[in-house]
Amino acid sequence: MPTMEVDGKKITFEGKKMILQACLDAGVELPHYCYHSGLSVVASCRICLVEAEHPNPKDPTQMIKIPKLIPSCQTPAMDGMKVYSKSPKAAANQKAVMEFLLINHPLDCPVCDQAGECSLQDYSYKYGRAESRFEEDKAKKPKKDIGPHVLLYSDRCIMCTRCVRFTHEISGTGELAVFGRGHKEEINVFQGRPLDNPLSGNVVDICPVGALLDKDMLFTQRVWFLKSTPSISPFSSGGENIFIEHNQGRIYRIKPRFNAEINKWWISDEIRYGWKFVHENRLSKLVVGGREEIAWETAEAHLDGMMRKAVAEKGPGSTALVLSAFDTTEEMYLAAKWIRSIDRQAWLVLNPPRVEGTDQTFKNPVTGAVTYVIRAEKAPNRRGAEKIISHFSGNTCELSDLAAKVAGGAFGAAAVVLDPVPGTDRAVETALTGLENLAVLSSRPTATTGRAALTLPVCTWAEKSGVFENYAGRIQAFDRAIEPLENTRCSGAIFWSLLGESGTYRSQDGRIMMGREGLPDYAGVTVPKREKKIQLMEFSPL
Amino acid sequence: MAYAGPVLLKRIPDDPAQRKLYRYADYIATGGYASLKKVLAMLPEDVIKLVVDSGLRGRGGAGFPCGTKWTFLPKDLFPRYLAVNFDESEPGTFKDRYLIDHDPHILLEGIAIAAFANKISTSYIYIRGEYHHEAKLLEAALAEAYEHGIFGQKHPGTDIVSHCYVHRGAGAYICGEETGLLESLEGKRGWPRIKPPFPAVAGAFAKPTIINNVETLACLPAIVEHGAAWFKTMGTPSSSGPKLFGVSGHVNKPGVFEEELGIKMSTLIEKYAGGVKGGKYRAAIPGGVSMGVLGTDQYNAELDFDIGRKYNVLGLGTAGVIVMNDKTDLVVMLRNIVRFFAHESCGQCTPCREGTAWMHKILNRIVDGFGQPQDFDMLAELCLTMGAMPGTTICGLADGANWAVKTFLQKFPEDFKSRLKSRQVQGVAGAGVA
Repeated sequence: MPTMEVDGKKITFEGKKMILQACLDAGVELPHYCYHSGLSVVASCRICLVEAEHPNPKDPTQMIKIPKLIPSCQTPAMDGMKVYSKSPKAAANQKAVMEFLLINHPLDCPVCDQAGECSLQDYSYKYGRAESRFEEDKAKKPKKDIGPHVLLYSDRCIMCTRCVRFTHEISGTGELAVFGRGHKEEINVFQGRPLDNPLSGNVVDICPVGALLDKDMLFTQRVWFLKSTPSISPFSSGGENIFIEHNQGRIYRIKPRFNAEINKWWISDEIRYGWKFVHENRLSKLVVGGREEIAWETAEAHLDGMMRKAVAEKGPGSTALVLSAFDTTEEMYLAAKWIRSIDRQAWLVLNPPRVEGTDQTFKNPVTGAVTYVIRAEKAPNRRGAEKIISHFSGNTCELSDLAAKVAGGAFGAAAVVLDPVPGTDRAVETALTGLENLAVLSSRPTATTGRAALTLPVCTWAEKSGVFENYAGRIQAFDRAIEPLENTRCSGAIFWSLLGESGTYRSQDGRIMMGREGLPDYAGVTVPKREKKIQLMEFSPL
Repeated sequence: MAYAGPVLLKRIPDDPAQRKLYRYADYIATGGYASLKKVLAMLPEDVIKLVVDSGLRGRGGAGFPCGTKWTFLPKDLFPRYLAVNFDESEPGTFKDRYLIDHDPHILLEGIAIAAFANKISTSYIYIRGEYHHEAKLLEAALAEAYEHGIFGQKHPGTDIVSHCYVHRGAGAYICGEETGLLESLEGKRGWPRIKPPFPAVAGAFAKPTIINNVETLACLPAIVEHGAAWFKTMGTPSSSGPKLFGVSGHVNKPGVFEEELGIKMSTLIEKYAGGVKGGKYRAAIPGGVSMGVLGTDQYNAELDFDIGRKYNVLGLGTAGVIVMNDKTDLVVMLRNIVRFFAHESCGQCTPCREGTAWMHKILNRIVDGFGQPQDFDMLAELCLTMGAMPGTTICGLADGANWAVKTFLQKFPEDFKSRLKSRQVQGVAGAGVA
């Protein structure tokens, strides 16, 4: 494997790569603003310039020193190359570029949302100078409302053009452009054409400074208080990798987590801003018969009893379990196992996920490469549910067929897990019209919970862990981000205890059980580690 | 050294009253397109060899050998394009306009020769936006050329049809930079490209492209007519041939004059431009403001492509000489130059975008009387970090600004230092500025 020496440290790289990318892949930090692995190279910020030597192709023992400073983002890495990013010349350039970038920057970090995760701040400490020598008036540029989700603070902008390239190369919509020239230039949208594509929120992520800010997050939290939990998108069948960023039990934002095969660096706005249901309109009371509040221990026994009574009265095959494609595979397994332990012919039904039109594919208009797909199916785990249903086999049917069975009067009771986001309740409600013994596990009040014999408040995906299986059968685990809302439990915990298992339910216990009982795919799946944010700075005592 | 009368300006007499526009018929009557006819009977390789042998160097500013540039084209990549750089926007430069104003067909003949030699399918004349008149002249001349089969025909022995178009820019200096020009030609923002790939491999529309200046191409008919050896009799060993010099500023008779390369600036000013006006010679810019300034003791500098090495300027540039007499305020002059660069910086690279504007603000302050002693060093340092450190920017605009400021500071330090006073000395008025 080719190797390269960066500031005396040996790194290896594979294939054709630029110096900067090879360094980033090997965990060596070189300063950069305009470079982004997912976008084309413009080499315009000029802070990544380094000095380099490479072996003479005719005589590999001799090194040829490149006389100029070279942009590491644009120069291919060569085997045997020596790169100096801390040489006096490279350091002088870094210092100069930092000074240039800051002369017209308002330095309003105390009121800037980006403070704490700002490349300008980090590099200023690491590569810049402590005092400004700029005595003139700073250029003043306006704040602009450029789209439904994004604000642009032009005065903080360093013109790296990442956002412009994103709208041209990833979303293919081209709303953003550079207007004006030289020090007067600004990023802007065309009149009457706001930045409103379904991927618009990504420009905020790739902005290395505080120029593009998320209206949703604006002034709500300082980023250094946020904790990041790796998770999986709960809104679409793509299985997009995300970080849930939260503090003190409250989610503040969702950020994309890099996954080369699924979502790359991006997520859609639907995923980014869809988490509100976690904190809005939640169910937190256990209700029997529409009125009476009970405790969890009684409620679980009640649920169990409801099903047993139905089987005793109407015989096997008189109960049903409606699964939600928003639940984790482990939870569905436990639920199915529980109901089949009571009624061996219990009906297993999947509440079909909402499908909105067709998959929306984004392409790079020049190369034609697919950059992002927004899946039409708006639930994370249909494949998982289908797998569980087929694993248990026996009595299964479509939700729409359930109505006829209920009307036939052969049914005694049903347990229903409702989707946490609105959209599919009506189908469940219609299918189960007339059934009295209805137990509902839901995170929010709906018409179904209103008339159910037993309502159990459950927690949402952010409050539990488990695995989702995306549309292509990729099984991915995620971790719990925040504590469950008071008095709610995850459905896994409910069925875990109903199955008589000991201890607190943990999703890996569910996976081990599944592995033992004929679903070996799941046993080895582990939750991704809680990654620490990349530490850019090496603090040295002043 | 054997310059025997005008080559490029042979159809344009000195006396303004006798100058006229040479249309196709007039051009033919004075021996026009004879060289093209001669070339079409030759092998393309021989034409390239002839241009290499002539030692013709690019007249647009950088002085890169024209024939060598042609040999960079990949052997079997087609189509190939020619972009003619008529963006002439360097301050003090007006030679190409003067030539086209009277003799547009000399350029078209040059283009036709270059297109044949390099098997080029389409030539684009990228003309500066403000040159309305010249764009119309060229359009008319092109129509005549098409009518007479100069363009729109197959190159002999190939299936490549030669076409030529006039493309008007929108008046940005940066579009005179060759890759900025290509971007603009493609309909994009005129932001210079990162290299590689070089234009010879992937230029306009990602196809192999040659970019030549108007005057460079206008030299071709004469080279074909008289041969490489004749061309080399003019000029110096490293800078052969005749050159158009545009003289402006404090001279009695400003204008475009043709002479061989390597003549003394004093000769140019005294023999052709009627001597310095309004005082004694103090300083001169050899070829467009980005080349820097020649000092008072460099009056006799030889104007050729070696001038940079010998006289501490960036180079000959476009040979648009701006003469300044001893009553010129050089600080104000430099401020005007830097104002130009700050205005024309494309804004792509950080050092140039911020550095040129910063220098302009400092110079504004100095001109307004609020300069401080540290400003001199600040300007010098900005020159270094912005342009002088090789590789800090994508194109040469920052380096041009750096050379202009650097040479003014080096050659006329007292003009600046006498304007700089510490804040204590400036008193209350100065204290309020920063």
